[in-house]
Amino acid sequence: MRLLIVEDDAPLASGLSRILEAEGHAVDVTERGEDAVLAASQEHFDLVILDIGLPRMDGFEVLRRLRAAEKPIPVLVLTARDATEDKVRGLDLGADDYMVKPFAMPELTARVRALLRRSQAHGGPRIVHGPLALDTVARRAYLRNEPLELAAREWAVLEVLLAKVEKIVSKEAIIQAVAGWGEDLSPNAIEVYVSRLRSKLEPAGIKIRTVRGFGYMLEEFKIAAH
Amino acid sequence: MPARSLRAHLLRMLLPPIAALLALGAVVAYYPSSEPTTEAYDTALVDIGIALGAHIQSASNEYRFELPAAVEQLLRTDRHDLIFFRVLSPIGVHIAGDLALPVPNSERQAYDGVVDGHKVRVVTVEAPCGGASCTVLVAETTNKRARAAREFLLTSMLPGLLIALATLLIVWFGVKRGLWPLTRLSEELKARSPRDLRPIDAAAVPEETRALVSALNGLLDELAHAARNQQRFLANAAHQLRTPLAGLQAHTELALAEPIPESCRVHLEQVHQATIRTARLANQLLALARAEPGARGESSDVNLRSVVEGEADSWVHQALARDVDLGFELEPAPVKGDAMLLREALANLVHNAIEYSSSGGHVTVRTGQRGGESFAEVEDDGPGIAPQERERVLERFYRVPGTPGTGSGLGLAIVREIAGRHGARMELGEGAGARGCRVALTFPHG
Repeated sequence: MRLLIVEDDAPLASGLSRILEAEGHAVDVTERGEDAVLAASQEHFDLVILDIGLPRMDGFEVLRRLRAAEKPIPVLVLTARDATEDKVRGLDLGADDYMVKPFAMPELTARVRALLRRSQAHGGPRIVHGPLALDTVARRAYLRNEPLELAAREWAVLEVLLAKVEKIVSKEAIIQAVAGWGEDLSPNAIEVYVSRLRSKLEPAGIKIRTVRGFGYMLEEFKIAAH
Repeated sequence: MPARSLRAHLLRMLLPPIAALLALGAVVAYYPSSEPTTEAYDTALVDIGIALGAHIQSASNEYRFELPAAVEQLLRTDRHDLIFFRVLSPIGVHIAGDLALPVPNSERQAYDGVVDGHKVRVVTVEAPCGGASCTVLVAETTNKRARAAREFLLTSMLPGLLIALATLLIVWFGVKRGLWPLTRLSEELKARSPRDLRPIDAAAVPEETRALVSALNGLLDELAHAARNQQRFLANAAHQLRTPLAGLQAHTELALAEPIPESCRVHLEQVHQATIRTARLANQLLALARAEPGARGESSDVNLRSVVEGEADSWVHQALARDVDLGFELEPAPVKGDAMLLREALANLVHNAIEYSSSGGHVTVRTGQRGGESFAEVEDDGPGIAPQERERVLERFYRVPGTPGTGSGLGLAIVREIAGRHGARMELGEGAGARGCRVALTFPHG
């Protein structure tokens, strides 16, 4: 994937680009907002990582211009400020995600992966999570390239969790996404579907964590050897 | 000269003019009205003179004056004054009466004179005697008149004195009453929290104190401004620290991913941990700056449940990293306050609970309502805080001796600061089954 980092702090920019390159991405770095707008208009990027506190044209303005362009590029906003106003403003202007400095690098790479996956899934029929692959058009699931049998409700729950890897999805949110109109689904029923999914996915190293009193979280797939 | 007491100052200013006015009033009232009194007394003397005149007998230039002893006695009998009289012939020859009474030397019919050393009032009456007119002089000492004058003076001055007294009383109590709004204002200021740097409502004070209030408001505004500047400085400093820290963190993580000698790795790990701690400290200082008195806070309707739900993701990851089971028991808990600060307070409590739990420990975050009051609490089954330490752990930078880990000792101080700002109670206790630690924040109703 091709990424553009817009960050005027040279050490941070170089650190980020090294880390993302290590993840297998092609990374371009610019420290000026104007250059970022220009680059994005002329070349294709899959994701922009944008610092808000830029000299001259600030991140909000860059974000506004990127959003005004024809094809929307996912934007991950970085900021040294955490005032709620900034956050709301950033998200209002169409930022896809928001991170407050300083952050742990694994968290950044996870968010980058999630954003890229979401933009690929958007319109793309295939969702991949480690050894798991979902063909959303044919509604077929594969685990380690073997067909995986999933009941309709299990499929629906898995889809919700896959859309938010590494994020807690509350039971209420799952019920809302899974239950049809006028249908009454109890939290207990969700537990049943999740436990069935677990028994099918855990042997392949895919973990669904229970967050007590809240909901579930599909963990980032990690290669077991690590 | 500074007037120590407004009241004394006012009285000092009012007394001399009031006294002068009183004196002037007495004089002005006395003289015009003393004339009719004198005239009345004079008329009485004239009457006596006429009566005496009737006793003059004349026969061919011979004049005789016969007064029966009883009549004379009656005439001379007066409780207060001595009466003198003298009868003179038309050519001024003494006929009868008191020789001590001098012959008049002017044409005036009433005048002041002296008889035997007594001050007297003398009237002259012309009495017909044999075709001509004899002169009867009647004199009277002035005791009655002086007394009447004194009485008159007193009665005419009394209302004036009463008015003066009333004025002084009005000043005495009026000053107190007039200054009442100031007293109330000072009570109000005394009752103010030191965090409250809002201007005083100028509409609630009397016109005359507006200048004072606006000066006070100016001072308050400057104070608030200075406090805001300090907050801004602290916030900017913390913000400025974040970008280089992010860079530092990125590079230490990169370096740690490289194949490096084990001896180097140990040091690099230390650097990395220190970076993370410093980043956290910067965040905490920022939170403290925001929670401190004078900081401009936003107050809105906040549901503690939503605050927890919004942060659950990042907390769960912290918990997973330390192999701690983080659970939630969330019910609606509406409060009024600053969402950012409340989030910071809860984040600190959760961070502490996770930090001091051992691997496999349990941390539970609860929100809800108890007895109509909203609360949020965090409970763990870690080592807990000994009762004798519970007060001290709230101090800034204090850490219980022998505590493992690398906390700054700011976390609970921040929570206390934020709780205080929201008027919330902060209670430290034991967790379920007398194990671990439970910190509860209870927010007052409304």
